[in-house]
Amino acid sequence: MRSVVTDLSHFSVVAGSPEPIYRQLVAQVRRCVAGGQLKAGDELPSVRELAQSLAVNPMTVSKAFGLLEAEGLVTRRRGLAMVIAEQHRRAQPTAERIDLLRPTLERAAQEARQLQLPAAQALSLFKTILNEQEGQ
Amino acid sequence: MSSPRNDTPCLAQGLTVSFGGQRVLDGLEWSLPAGRVVGLLGRNGAGKTTLIETLLGLREPTAGRASLFGQPSMTLDDDARARIGYVPQRSDLFEWLTADQLLAYFRSFYPRWNTAKVEGLMSRWDIARDKPIRKLSGGQQQRLSIIRALAHDPELLVLDEPVASLDPAARRDFLGELVDQVMDRSTTIVFSTHILTDLERVAVDVAFLSGGKIALHAPLDELLESSVRLGGVPADIRRFIDQYELQPISHDAGVPLIARGRGAAAMPAPTPTVSVDRATLEDLFLALTA
Repeated sequence: MRSVVTDLSHFSVVAGSPEPIYRQLVAQVRRCVAGGQLKAGDELPSVRELAQSLAVNPMTVSKAFGLLEAEGLVTRRRGLAMVIAEQHRRAQPTAERIDLLRPTLERAAQEARQLQLPAAQALSLFKTILNEQEGQ
Repeated sequence: MSSPRNDTPCLAQGLTVSFGGQRVLDGLEWSLPAGRVVGLLGRNGAGKTTLIETLLGLREPTAGRASLFGQPSMTLDDDARARIGYVPQRSDLFEWLTADQLLAYFRSFYPRWNTAKVEGLMSRWDIARDKPIRKLSGGQQQRLSIIRALAHDPELLVLDEPVASLDPAARRDFLGELVDQVMDRSTTIVFSTHILTDLERVAVDVAFLSGGKIALHAPLDELLESSVRLGGVPADIRRFIDQYELQPISHDAGVPLIARGRGAAAMPAPTPTVSVDRATLEDLFLALTA
């Protein structure tokens, strides 16, 4: 199987978030695998490449990789490269992908209620934002 | 008192420093684990610079002691000195020398000198070699000070507000340099800054200096995952804290605002009268350095 070294642009880090950086990285890989953007055999960047490109501590990247390995999302290949595990050959069913999005939307819904925004307006905003990203 | 192990890069025991009767450091205890990047946080005037200078033996403590690699900081031998790199808050470079002259001068003190790294950084950071240092910009002087501190491949790197006069791109580049340092040499790094977002990227541990003591030293991830911000009905907040066995770490008019404890790891669900959010590093900074 042809192995693709994963584009560094799959990864980004938000500082100032209550979510620790290693968890942000784990969640990004989880979503890319669920969506089929990363597939079995794709190679993740090395700890050094990722730490360097994001300017984060290599221990943080190692911790994220360790957790991904424990979850069975990636396996460690000889020579230490991490690759997406064999069983992730295609995108997960829509229902499972929706489950992954749910927590984020629950937070958004809570904020919309706190702001007393009518559902129709919140939904139309979400639609607009989705289309904006598409156009980029 | 048990003698410190020789491999502890930096140790403070009962460290006290007074200025005119005022205790800036008050019986401070601190130990830096080897190979970790530790962010030192404190409000302005909390004594971060005093702490750093005392740890490095540049300032004599009123009481207690500081040691580096098992040696008293005030009487380090040349070997221990060569293992330490320091970037002071205010650059103390010899301003009448050129950058090249300065580096040649410092090179003569150290048994090791990483010429490739020095040359690489000098060109990448675009520092004029033949101008007197006083004619360089604040940012360039700071970068030169960083190059000087990294040049002898130190095992312990102490940085006092190292990025204060750097623009965001230069800060990012500097953080990348620290990442290299950690990858290549497992350098122990202490880093004081008030720019929390930089700290979050590179620090594995954070230490909060408040009231002349290290109020808390903990792994950053663990701290974020065990801390919550609470709001709502005061009596219910107190009940909530008891129920999840949390420790309040800051109050607003007597009502707990930020709390931490293992009970917060699974993110307790809010109730109709108590809101629960994850705390950020900024929340914790404000709470622990008040």
